[in-house]
Amino acid sequence: MTLSGSVRAVITFAVLVLLHFTLRPLLGWRASIDFLLLAVLTAAVRVRPAGAAAIGFIVGMVGDSLAPDSLGAGALAMLLVAYLASWLKAVFFADSLPLNAMFFFVGKWLFDIIYFIAEHHLTGIDLVQQLFLWSPLSAAATAIAGVLVLLVMRPLFEPSSA
Amino acid sequence: MARLGNSNNRLDGTVLIVCAVLSVIALVLPAQVRQPIASGLRRSVLAPFLSLQKRAEGSRRALEGHDAVIDQRDSVSIRAMSVSALAAENTRLRDLLGLGSRLKWGFVPAEALHGRGSQDEFGVTLSAGSRAGVVKLSPVVAPEGLVGVVDNVDPSISHAMVWTHPDFRVSAMSEDASAFGIVQAHLESGPGRYLLEMRGVPFRTSIRRGTLIVSSGLGGVYPRGIPIGRVLGETKTAESWARTYLIRPAVFPADVYAVMVLLPDRASAGVDNVWAVGAISDSSVRKIVIAGDSLARSAALAEATARQAAQDSATRDSLRKAGVPESLIVPPVAPAPPIRRPAVRSDTTRRDTTHTAAVKHALPARDSAAVSHAP
Repeated sequence: MTLSGSVRAVITFAVLVLLHFTLRPLLGWRASIDFLLLAVLTAAVRVRPAGAAAIGFIVGMVGDSLAPDSLGAGALAMLLVAYLASWLKAVFFADSLPLNAMFFFVGKWLFDIIYFIAEHHLTGIDLVQQLFLWSPLSAAATAIAGVLVLLVMRPLFEPSSA
Repeated sequence: MARLGNSNNRLDGTVLIVCAVLSVIALVLPAQVRQPIASGLRRSVLAPFLSLQKRAEGSRRALEGHDAVIDQRDSVSIRAMSVSALAAENTRLRDLLGLGSRLKWGFVPAEALHGRGSQDEFGVTLSAGSRAGVVKLSPVVAPEGLVGVVDNVDPSISHAMVWTHPDFRVSAMSEDASAFGIVQAHLESGPGRYLLEMRGVPFRTSIRRGTLIVSSGLGGVYPRGIPIGRVLGETKTAESWARTYLIRPAVFPADVYAVMVLLPDRASAGVDNVWAVGAISDSSVRKIVIAGDSLARSAALAEATARQAAQDSATRDSLRKAGVPESLIVPPVAPAPPIRRPAVRSDTTRRDTTHTAAVKHALPARDSAAVSHAP
């Protein structure tokens, strides 16, 4: 990845992290958009799986610090999703918005499945409700937001002509 | 090349395993260890983001609360608009309670139900009937004064003719009983329609503007002392033998929603002092002021007397020194007792009593005659 590409990726990452802490609480939806996961996914497809895993782990740990009881669960989920995204980057690079939306959706849903199982706070019907109702809804919202971000920031993602 | 790829794959796998192990370790760490790690991350890396999140959540709460605040403000505005009406009603009900406590017995509280028709300004329907003891010609009063008289009685409701009715008559007098006459509605179009007039006041008697007019008790329908209104001024009529005064009524029937119907026993027993609270307190205040003035006057008189005595003593001493014979020196005079005038002129009292008694005997039962024409 070129220097300009790295800068663009860092800007995109920073914008998404900012959105996670500004737009998400402002919306206050029950099925919230996970901008952190979008940031990790967009970064993961641009680095090697090892880097993606490290990014996922760090972002996950930082996110987990807001819920110390489940410290590590988000990190584990995030690093696995980021590693898989980086491993499947060939698919990600396909210039197809529906495919990217599907990947964001699957990524978020997978993250939630790993997170809530590892967290071990929800059990029984609550866990089922969370994983099969709220998580898909949240994944859908995240996927739509991800597609919108890709549309808005497409100039940043396109390789420079130089 | 293949070796480089293999080493990269090994590196990827190693990093993945290390991160996963670290994550699992973080998951299984005891709470005492996890808390400091989480706290350190919150205070360092996350601090600016948490500040942003706090502001965003505050904005969301403000947005969410905006509609509620608007609704609350509207509700408060609507309530504030009705406060004055409620306060007025509260005052009216308190007055009515006060009237009830002063009357003590022999009355029936009733609601005045106003009609919508053009003829309904002459009467009101009362929510009490013969079952409650209401009979025809029972006086209807409000805390402010006279409203009218019952002219039709059913078992559960009754109808009262209010003073605006052309046939309404009540024998009335000034508060000090110096003038008597017949009060009736001022039958005139325009704003004067809602005034009363007091007819038949003897020409030699004049009533000052603002004088309270009360029922005289002559005629047997209305007991003596129910306020009717206050004198606005004299009005010219064709009758040259008597004066006619315009009266601003004490009660406007359209504003009355709760009344008291005086039962026959109560009406015949009289309602003395029921509406005289203001007058009593006024007279009490006047008496206290007069008593204070008397005390001040006595003190000033005593001081002047003492000063005069001292001057006289000095004069006598100087005369004695000058050799004036003792027989020529005027002895000191004992101070005269202070002249105390009665707080209330006795002649006034006597005149009122005499006048009232005389007129009571002289005048026929007038309001009953008027009411007998009522439908």
